[in-house]
Amino acid sequence: MSLGKWTGFDSREEVREGLKKAGYIAADHITNTVYLASHLAKPILVEGPAGVGKTELAKATASFMRVPLIRLQCYEGLDESKALYEWKYGKQLLYTQLLKDKIDRIVQGEMDLSESIEKLHQYDDIFFSRRFLEPRPLLKALQQQEGAVLLVDEVDKSDDEFEAFLLEILSDFQVSIPEIGTIEATSVPFVFLTSNNTRELSEALQRRCLHLYISFPDEKLEREIVRTRVPGITEKLNRQLVAFINKVRQLDIKKLPSVSETIDWARALVLLHAENLDREIVRETLNTFLKRQEDMQVAERNLDELTKHAVREAR
Amino acid sequence: MDRTLENFISVLRRSGVRVSVSETMDAVRAVALSGYEDRQLMKDFLSVTLAKTNPEKVIFESCFDNFFNVEGLGSRDALSQEQIAAPAIHLSSPLTQMLLSGSGGGLSLAFREAALGAGIKDIQYPHQRGMYMQKLLQIMGLNGLNEDIRNQAAQGNPESAALAKSLESMRDNLMSLARDLIDRQLDLYASKRYEEMLERQLQYTNLSSLEERDLILIQAIVKKMVKRLKDRYSRRPKEARRGQLDLKKTMRRNIVYGGVPFDPKWKTKKIDRPEVVVLCDVSRSVSNVVRFLLLILYSLNEVISKIRSFAFCTNLVEVSSYFEKYAVHEAVSKILAGEGLSIVLRKTDYGRSFTDFKEQYSECLSRRTTIIILGDARSNFGEPNTEILRFISERCKRLIWLNPEAPVRWGTGDSEMKKYLPYCTLARECNALQHLELVVGSLLRR
Repeated sequence: MSLGKWTGFDSREEVREGLKKAGYIAADHITNTVYLASHLAKPILVEGPAGVGKTELAKATASFMRVPLIRLQCYEGLDESKALYEWKYGKQLLYTQLLKDKIDRIVQGEMDLSESIEKLHQYDDIFFSRRFLEPRPLLKALQQQEGAVLLVDEVDKSDDEFEAFLLEILSDFQVSIPEIGTIEATSVPFVFLTSNNTRELSEALQRRCLHLYISFPDEKLEREIVRTRVPGITEKLNRQLVAFINKVRQLDIKKLPSVSETIDWARALVLLHAENLDREIVRETLNTFLKRQEDMQVAERNLDELTKHAVREAR
Repeated sequence: MDRTLENFISVLRRSGVRVSVSETMDAVRAVALSGYEDRQLMKDFLSVTLAKTNPEKVIFESCFDNFFNVEGLGSRDALSQEQIAAPAIHLSSPLTQMLLSGSGGGLSLAFREAALGAGIKDIQYPHQRGMYMQKLLQIMGLNGLNEDIRNQAAQGNPESAALAKSLESMRDNLMSLARDLIDRQLDLYASKRYEEMLERQLQYTNLSSLEERDLILIQAIVKKMVKRLKDRYSRRPKEARRGQLDLKKTMRRNIVYGGVPFDPKWKTKKIDRPEVVVLCDVSRSVSNVVRFLLLILYSLNEVISKIRSFAFCTNLVEVSSYFEKYAVHEAVSKILAGEGLSIVLRKTDYGRSFTDFKEQYSECLSRRTTIIILGDARSNFGEPNTEILRFISERCKRLIWLNPEAPVRWGTGDSEMKKYLPYCTLARECNALQHLELVVGSLLRR
């Protein structure tokens, strides 16, 4: 099985460079996993704390493979008709109305009901053909000629039933539609599933995927990420800010600042023309990376110490 | 599939990682892609194909490091440090020659072959270490080495004496390496099996014969038990979804539609979340088991939300807050010592304790309460006050008595068990963990 026009990447360097060009600085194990998945044609189940770039990884992969990203956001109550396909009821109705004369002509001349129904049976497949099928993200991903990246976001938020239904797609890359039959993938999409661990996923799903755990990046990597995403930042400020954030992550707070929030903060600091971290500017911009009142209070209590640490680290 | 990967996967399985056949196939393909040279790459590949949850990842890490360290034993050159310039007079044993030539690779190969020959994978218990070590060293040719050492020492000239000495130290080195190898194998192959056996044993052992050092393990077992029960009884909503049509509710509900049953209501099966009151005897006659009774009481606190605990000896006091405030060991030892409690730890008096309960705490009795009494009913010939137990029994849903003594001993000597028996909904012997599981299970069922 091949991934669309991709028959697996040539080397891990290709993946690393590609992701980097797409603005995603990946740790080694992430590139390794993407590389492996491209060769095994297996979905990747990405887990990790919120905001470490799980969704971003899928986006970056799509942009560097130059294929469309098709995204399915999961939520409680998501079902087949929203995820896979739906019949275009309106179109079916409209067509039957427009074609009323034609239908009348077909049935004409038949004496009783059973005979006319018999006649109609010869045509009923027309209304349940692909023309009347409205593809939803999953089916759309299977139908892409050039391949696609399919992102099933926050799969842990969906119901058990939906998870079971995903299995067919993930292992065989095909879907069964009762009226039509089995539709196989034109080209196999590159699948990412993300999960925040709000509930344990079923074993069957785990078995079909490669399991990638992304944790917060180490300081060096995070600096590189900030450098790529916020080009205007000075090296000194970058060092201070990343050291600060990493120290904050060790505090006893409810919601840890994510990588995306580090980037937000960096952008804010650049906009404010900050050269250095100091107590005042940190206090004013605290709300860019801490979103809870209690967390902010904890951070404010330790502000002096944190700032000093960050400045010392950056030297 | 190659042997190394096969062995590694069986090690993972034994350590509790679930690896399915399809995952094994993925791993094989992944390793074919990565090769064995790049350790880190291979580790990444195997990690994403084999370990699918975070706990599994942790197990995987340690297994991987252990396993591939054993394999790569040759890289440690502890033995080649002391190289001897020229092997002197005839040395018969191949092992001696190998040691003297300082070939780490050859030695590692010999180790591996010997390990296979000794069937080291079948090691199960720590006490088998000695046996396997003997076997391993035999196969490697320790006898020959010993003979060489003896021969050299017997020759009497200083040169050969020095050689014998360095050979001896090499032998010690060799032995410590072998010990390392066996320890790691034991870690890999046996620890899980050994733990399982120990657990099984503990399940059936009488609580009174358990020792202090088992306490930690017991706690783990109790936790496991509690988790299992929790899993079983927390599937409440699903259970309630099925059922028969609830006619009364449906009619009431559909009055708004003029009696047309648009919105049917179903009878629901509800699993009771009991309110539990536990009275635990902490006197000396049950001192052997009381530690465990309290431990179990503590764990019950975690499964059952509404629980009040009382300890009694000569009189009765409430100890619920201790279980909330302190960690398990602290709580248990505090209660046993009566620290901060107005409990009198002299002769056990069941009659007085029941009276205390009735007078001070009868407000916690309702038709939803289950009362559990943990104790041997040995009241030192005091007044048993059975009518008070009857009073309690009549005002609660169930009264369960768990007695650490076997039923044959009930009613003998100062045991008042026979007199209390008529007022108990259920009276059981309870002195092993497996008894407890039954009781707790029946507690949560309707």
